[in-house]
Amino acid sequence: MAAREILLKANHVRKVFRRGSEEIAAIDDISFTCRRGEFVSFVGPSGSGKTTLINILGCLDNPSRGTVSVGGMTVFNDTTRLSEGELTRIRRCYFGYIFQKFYLVPTLTVMENVLLPLSFYRKEGAAADALPLLNFLGLGQRIHHRPAELSGGEMQRVAIARALINKPEIVLADEPTGNLDTQRSREIGQILRHLNRQEGVTVLLVTHNPLLAAVAQRTIILRDGRIVT
Amino acid sequence: MRKTMRKAGSEVLALIICLGASCWLLWAAVGCELNDPDRDVRRFFPESTGYKTMYASVKQQGGEPRLARIQIRLGDTFKGLYETIDTPYSMYQILRGTEIIGYIHGVNQKGQYGGIQVFLALDRQGLIRHFYFQKVTNRSAKLLRDPAFAAQFVGLSLQDFDQYDVNAGSAKPGSRVAAIRNPAPDAEFDFRAALRATKKNLILCDIFLLGDIPGK
Amino acid sequence: MTKPLSIYRIAFKNLQRKKARSTLTLIGIGLSAWVLTSLFGFNQGYETALNKDIDNMGFQVLLTAKGCPYEAATLMLKGGTGLRYMPESVISDVVRYPGIEKVTPMLMQAVFDPNKGESGGISAYLGVDPASYPQLKAFLSFEQGSWFTDPLGYQAVMGYEAAELEQREIGDKILIPEKNIEFTVVGVLKRSGTQDDGTIFIPIRTLQKEFGQQGKVTALGIKVSKTANIIELENKLYDLPDVQVVSMAQVRETIMSLVSTAKVMVISIALIAILIAILGVINTILMSVFERFQEIGILKSMGAMPADVFRMVWTETVILCLLGGMLGVGLAFGLAKITDFLIRRLLPYAPTGSLVQVNLPLALLILVIVLGIGLISGLYPAWWAARVRPLESIRSEGD
Repeated sequence: MAAREILLKANHVRKVFRRGSEEIAAIDDISFTCRRGEFVSFVGPSGSGKTTLINILGCLDNPSRGTVSVGGMTVFNDTTRLSEGELTRIRRCYFGYIFQKFYLVPTLTVMENVLLPLSFYRKEGAAADALPLLNFLGLGQRIHHRPAELSGGEMQRVAIARALINKPEIVLADEPTGNLDTQRSREIGQILRHLNRQEGVTVLLVTHNPLLAAVAQRTIILRDGRIVT
Repeated sequence: MRKTMRKAGSEVLALIICLGASCWLLWAAVGCELNDPDRDVRRFFPESTGYKTMYASVKQQGGEPRLARIQIRLGDTFKGLYETIDTPYSMYQILRGTEIIGYIHGVNQKGQYGGIQVFLALDRQGLIRHFYFQKVTNRSAKLLRDPAFAAQFVGLSLQDFDQYDVNAGSAKPGSRVAAIRNPAPDAEFDFRAALRATKKNLILCDIFLLGDIPGK
Repeated sequence: MTKPLSIYRIAFKNLQRKKARSTLTLIGIGLSAWVLTSLFGFNQGYETALNKDIDNMGFQVLLTAKGCPYEAATLMLKGGTGLRYMPESVISDVVRYPGIEKVTPMLMQAVFDPNKGESGGISAYLGVDPASYPQLKAFLSFEQGSWFTDPLGYQAVMGYEAAELEQREIGDKILIPEKNIEFTVVGVLKRSGTQDDGTIFIPIRTLQKEFGQQGKVTALGIKVSKTANIIELENKLYDLPDVQVVSMAQVRETIMSLVSTAKVMVISIALIAILIAILGVINTILMSVFERFQEIGILKSMGAMPADVFRMVWTETVILCLLGGMLGVGLAFGLAKITDFLIRRLLPYAPTGSLVQVNLPLALLILVIVLGIGLISGLYPAWWAARVRPLESIRSEGD
């Protein structure tokens, strides 16, 4: 089988936070490679640096040191610091994000929330119609409802649909089931698995939930800002 | 310097011309009001403690049908530019405490040389307590404004004036109105105007103040 | 159904999140806009009404007899006796000046009428020249009759209110007390809303004769030709001995400066109102942006550029201000009469005519100003929102 292209690469990445006079390294010398179509989960105790890492990989944050490249293009290195606008361009081209809190706009309907990214940017080949996506996610009957009328599981599925509308190369999910019960968590896991296995979407997942982590093909354990395995 | 002073002075004068001229050329505004109601109310009703001013017009209080009845009772039509259905009338309700003890009402009437303003002070039953010329322009005005002339009206009521023909200027022989003497023979026009004004005044008081009794 | 929302629609929906807050801010802007519109409308209306009043005098310059103006004014107010006079020869002096189109002499005389009211009162008469005065006051129209033509006749023209007080119509007689002379009314003027309404006009020659003032006038009305320089002419007239020059242009200026103090005060209040409205708008939008801190971060993460966020928040401000502005302008139109009434009670001198002129160009001007306020007020909140980094909002989730 031909090796699939490397989509994400991080080399000796270090992230330091300043708290008062103290310097704390949230990530200390991490190198990581992700190929197209992979499903990688990051697990570890609180404070292990998994969210920090995924934020840097997802171009939401700059590392203090090290190199990050996305789709073969260097995004961060020791001499490059991209502006917010440049980072946005990269983000909207490559990434879709799913967070623990759903962050749906309360005054917009389900359909309007899902289509929201298209108000700012429409990728070539992006979905012309959100309905098939919403139907797939079991929300076909709820498209005119507002978030206040939805359950937690439904809201997270709307967030997933929103993350996917612009056909991202990579989906980053940071504790997507943090606010959901077991049943809903399982459903989310199944959706992510389908996206990866059937649609070929690259998925990076951060989770405390071992059952959810097991859906991934590869699991990386972090502790104290370093990769353990 | 002199020029500036003159300029300043001329401005003041012009201002005063603009502001002041119209004020003192006019005496009474539209309608017929007492020039000094506080003074006049005290004069005609020394026992009063206060008064209330009310405004009405025939248009507001009954319109055309009302006007028709007034004209029948007056025995004359409303005439000219100024005697119209929407002429406003002021009425003064005289009070002692909260009790109404009488009324004062004035009407404008065309005189020979100018407007005549006739005011009547009435008691609760509509009898004349006082007759007062607030304004009259005539060579013999002094005679007409003499208290002796006004005294002839005291005690008269609308009933007395019912038989007075305002156009012919004639009263029923032997009636109290017929007994009213004109002190100034060369002021006959104004004398008859005063009688018409009195009759009209009593009719309006009857309608606006005393309660319009049909058939009266 | 599957069309994404435009940024403007998103902005509009954002305003509906906290309806009470948006409504209150709207009302605040509306009230400021109302004050501003009424103020500008008053500015326009007052000046127009004042100009109309002054133009209705018919002459731009008035010459009166020289003397202490205060004394003259007091005498005029208390009684006509002791008025100062100018010789009629002044007319021939004046007509020599270039730029003079028409000149008309006037003589004011007054008598005491003991039968006016309880203790008597003044009756005044204005002697005018039938050849020149009506031409200067061509806009005066008649309820009945017309001007007298005989300069030596015993006819009178009465302003409407003077005629109403005396219950006079054409053909009726008036009597000048003291002098015991009769005049026949030949004209009753329509109401003009000026002091002419209370004036009794008589041929000047007749008045001079009867009052023993031959060769004398109290004032000269001058109409200046359109091409003449009024200021230059006035300066020349000042050189005439024994006369006082009263410039209607200066009267206008004087009255306007009296009013301008009031206007400055009102403008200050209006500016404060606008400032408060701006602060209110900034506060509302800033609060709403702070509340949406995380959401704005997420918008950025889903592809919104800083310019998109800036535009969205700026649009919210503009929508709020425009709606508020329309409300304020609507209020100004609807309540113009009440505002007129209130202002009339406050001012020392109010010309006739509508004091508050609210019209379409003014409404558009106010909307442009309010729009400007919106654009300025929205700058900081929009800039703040545009600068939000997605991670700052997401970081609050914890690691």
